[in-house]
Amino acid sequence: MIRVLPPEVVNQIAAGEVVERPFSVVKELVENSLDAGATRVTVELRDGGRESIRISDDGGGFTPADLELAFVSHATSKLGSLADLDHIASLGFRGEALASIGSIARVTIRSRRADADEGFEITCEGGAIGPVRPCGCPPGTVIEVRDVFFNTPARRRFLRTARAERARIEDLLARLALARLDVDFTLVADDREVLRLPAGESLADRVGRAFGSALVEHLVEVEVRWDEYAARGLVGTPDAARRDATLSLLYVNGRFTKDRSTAMAVRQAYREFLMPGQQPVYFLELSLPPDEVDVNVHPTKSEVRFLQGRRACGILHEAVTSGLRQASAAPKRGGGAIAASPDKPRAQAGFPELPRDLFGAGGAQSLDPLPKSGAKLVDSSGPSAVRDAALAAQGGASTPSAAEPAAGHVAETGFDDGPFGGLQERRFLQVLDCYLVFETDDGMVVVDQHALHERVLYERFSKRHAARGAVPVQNLLVPEVLELAPSDKAWLLDQQEVLADEGLRIEDFGGRSIAIHGVPALLGRIAPRVLIETLLRADGEDEARPRAREIVAERFHSMACRAAIMSGDRLRETEIRELLAEARELDHPHNCPHGRPTVLTFSQEELERFFRRRVP
Amino acid sequence: MKILCDRQQLQEAFTVVGGIPPLKTPKPVIQSVLMDATADGVTLYATDLEISAKVPVDAVKVAEPGRTLLPARETSALLRELSDPTLTLSGQEGRTTIDAGTGSFVLVSNDPSQFPAEPEFKQGVEVEVPVREFLDMIRRTSFAAAREETRYAINGLLLELKDGGARLIGTDGRRLALCYTEHGGDAQNSRVVIPIRALQALSKAVSDESSEPLRISISSNQIRFALDGTELISQLLDNRFPEYEQVIPKAADSTIEIEREHLEKNLRRVAILSSGEVRMVRFKFEGSEVKLSAESSGIGRADLSMGIELNGPGGSISFNPDFLLDALKVSDRELVRIDMTDDSTPAKFTLGDSYTYILMPISGS
Ligand SMILES: Nc1ncnc2c1ncn2[C@@H]1O[C@H](COP(=O)(O)OP(=O)(O)OP(=O)(O)O)[C@@H](O)[C@H]1O
Ligand SMILES: [Mg+2]
Ligand SMILES: [Zn+2]
Repeated sequence: MIRVLPPEVVNQIAAGEVVERPFSVVKELVENSLDAGATRVTVELRDGGRESIRISDDGGGFTPADLELAFVSHATSKLGSLADLDHIASLGFRGEALASIGSIARVTIRSRRADADEGFEITCEGGAIGPVRPCGCPPGTVIEVRDVFFNTPARRRFLRTARAERARIEDLLARLALARLDVDFTLVADDREVLRLPAGESLADRVGRAFGSALVEHLVEVEVRWDEYAARGLVGTPDAARRDATLSLLYVNGRFTKDRSTAMAVRQAYREFLMPGQQPVYFLELSLPPDEVDVNVHPTKSEVRFLQGRRACGILHEAVTSGLRQASAAPKRGGGAIAASPDKPRAQAGFPELPRDLFGAGGAQSLDPLPKSGAKLVDSSGPSAVRDAALAAQGGASTPSAAEPAAGHVAETGFDDGPFGGLQERRFLQVLDCYLVFETDDGMVVVDQHALHERVLYERFSKRHAARGAVPVQNLLVPEVLELAPSDKAWLLDQQEVLADEGLRIEDFGGRSIAIHGVPALLGRIAPRVLIETLLRADGEDEARPRAREIVAERFHSMACRAAIMSGDRLRETEIRELLAEARELDHPHNCPHGRPTVLTFSQEELERFFRRRVP
Repeated sequence: MKILCDRQQLQEAFTVVGGIPPLKTPKPVIQSVLMDATADGVTLYATDLEISAKVPVDAVKVAEPGRTLLPARETSALLRELSDPTLTLSGQEGRTTIDAGTGSFVLVSNDPSQFPAEPEFKQGVEVEVPVREFLDMIRRTSFAAAREETRYAINGLLLELKDGGARLIGTDGRRLALCYTEHGGDAQNSRVVIPIRALQALSKAVSDESSEPLRISISSNQIRFALDGTELISQLLDNRFPEYEQVIPKAADSTIEIEREHLEKNLRRVAILSSGEVRMVRFKFEGSEVKLSAESSGIGRADLSMGIELNGPGGSISFNPDFLLDALKVSDRELVRIDMTDDSTPAKFTLGDSYTYILMPISGS
């Protein structure tokens, strides 16, 4: 039942401009359909939505009484009291969207409840609400929005081209659809079906359908549970990284969000795998009790606030980290490092004029010695199948590990050899005192010695650090007292325990001050004030701050960089063999801590194509 | 201006002031050294606007009094490289010519009237200390001062004059070094923080062989050191320095006596294997020996023991070996005394009759 919200509730709801363009109309209406329990939603556009937008669903529908209130501001069936605001599980809750849309367009709603014999309709043109009349229609709701901004010509002029609007809507629908695999979505533009996402498909399939199947090859399925918190979805390997963040998608309780703090946490997890300017690809859903998240922060509802920000960030960080670990443990396919990332700078491979099709997605797929569906990597029977196939492809004898039971063992068993397995015994050439070129059974592998050594040292330091139980603390003779902004102080005290785990001992010193009693012995010579400043430096949201751990990681990194053999150091053969032996043990062999690749693979087939011995 | 001088004497005088002109400055004129020739003799004067030094040049003949500016870097390099016993320096407008047997060198010089005047020093507390001892005090405390900007006086040492004694103290919050000497002079108390750079410049400027005492005068914002005609004046730093007396433990559970040289050598040996991520050496005092150990996973471990004299229960305590070595190597004591309690209480090292070092242990290992 739709009720008019009491005024105090209205005031608590961040109202604001809801409808900015056809895109926002579609967003609001599709969300309404989903809230109404639809299992099928069809969006039809004419002229990119500028002429008309039609949304049909098979959801619960409106009663005639509901229809009367549909266009009344702050009429919602989803929220009755203030307490409800804390338990929002539906996408809509303001009772604002239909009223806003009705005020700037000509809208007709036709709706029939499943248990009713007939349907009813109502219209609203530029805010003028018509009467409710019976009409014939199938169960569900059809909402037609024509002439958006007909009564506000200024805004109408700001509409983008039909193509731009349609592209945004397509994107939006894909994004909404990823959160609801149980719902069938269709997008029709000027009578042509543009997107069809059948209900019941897997997340990977849906991502493939919406964003291209080549992408799926570089996604890993993850799931992490911490009591009532769960993070699951698909995490892109570094190879999937892009220049823009359009595929960095996070859903919180089924709602797409653009929350900065959690996005930062995810980025942190990717930090050492991406080069500057690269954006990770991920499709992650965070589920948590509804009363621990506040979505009522921004009128478009894409921002959220968490009761336990650290926990939310932590679980996402963990999910991504586990995905990256999994990806590193899995075998890298021939040419994989560059194959499916056509937007990576070609120059990296050292062949500036490579024919486009060679490393294009299509080419990579047909070259692939592995079963086609990279998505296999993500289902539970996947890893061993992939692994066996890869072993077979390498011509390697079937090792005991290949016969092991499948699920979930990929990290511990099969491919801990990673991309460097077997290279020690290979012939090689040191080129430019910087690259090592190996001949393999299936072509060649080029290793960047500096990047690889950096990674080896980085992991060595990190593991040593992790292995040490309590972190040694250099205590201070005189506690250093710092005056801080109240929010900084509050944040630091919130982090007190984590910081103590990392060796930084602080205490409340009253007023605006804290006292530093000890610093991590590892960072023994850095002034305590500088440590704190580094911690506080990241601007913005609390959760976006680097954790003490990150600073320690940073420290490892710079140690690794300083100690690493440089490009330009000529290596002795024994040194190279040693480096490779260590490289086999790496958790993340593919990238240096800055995200640069350590190794590029060229298969025989790629080489043949490159020299035009083989027609693509 | 025209003078005839002994090259070596001039070079020696130049080293006293040559380090003061800043390498980078928005005021390029102070990158020179001012030479002032009068009927009484020749002096060199340099300043970086915080620290200034004046030194007389011996064995000169002044043919024509006057002033000239010598570019610091080039002049000191020239004086080093030339081997002629005597030099003639003449300053005309805009240049200074150095005539040596080898050849003649013309240096472009700024107008001496642009050079900042010597700071006016207002007389304050005045004391005299044995110069050699004071230089030792600087050496034994300056390494412990903070290098970065912390809340402690930036890069400064505390000089405290109290009850006829002078104390010099350096700390970076992890350790504290304190030296003491008796002084002759005013009984007035005073507490000032001196920039390390000034003390380093002083160490270079005065000879520890001088039979004269070093004269120290303190005004409200400046300190002056004077010896044998050489004079160094420095600004004082903001007087924020921790209450060091509170840091020095008054009592300890255990007292250890240990041979310094032996300890220093062994500590160096053991520290090699703490070169990984955390610099840390563990001391385990027990019975009549101390076990030193360090470990660096992936690198190795070291264990070593040496004899001690222990009073009290002993126990384990860990230190950053570098922090301890810094102090051990500037101590001249044969036997070192350690007062320690546990791994969260500062340990006190008595490294000389008037040299105390407080070091905070590393805990949680
Ligand atoms: N497709 C639909 N099927 C059934 N009921 C609907 C549909 N669309 C809207 N409604 C009803 O109309 C009401 C008003 O919708 P509207 O979108 O204006 O507000 P809301 O969804 O409650 O909040 P918000 O403004 O946050 O979207 C909803 O509460 C719901 O009861
Ligand atoms: Mg709505
Ligand atoms: Zn790097």
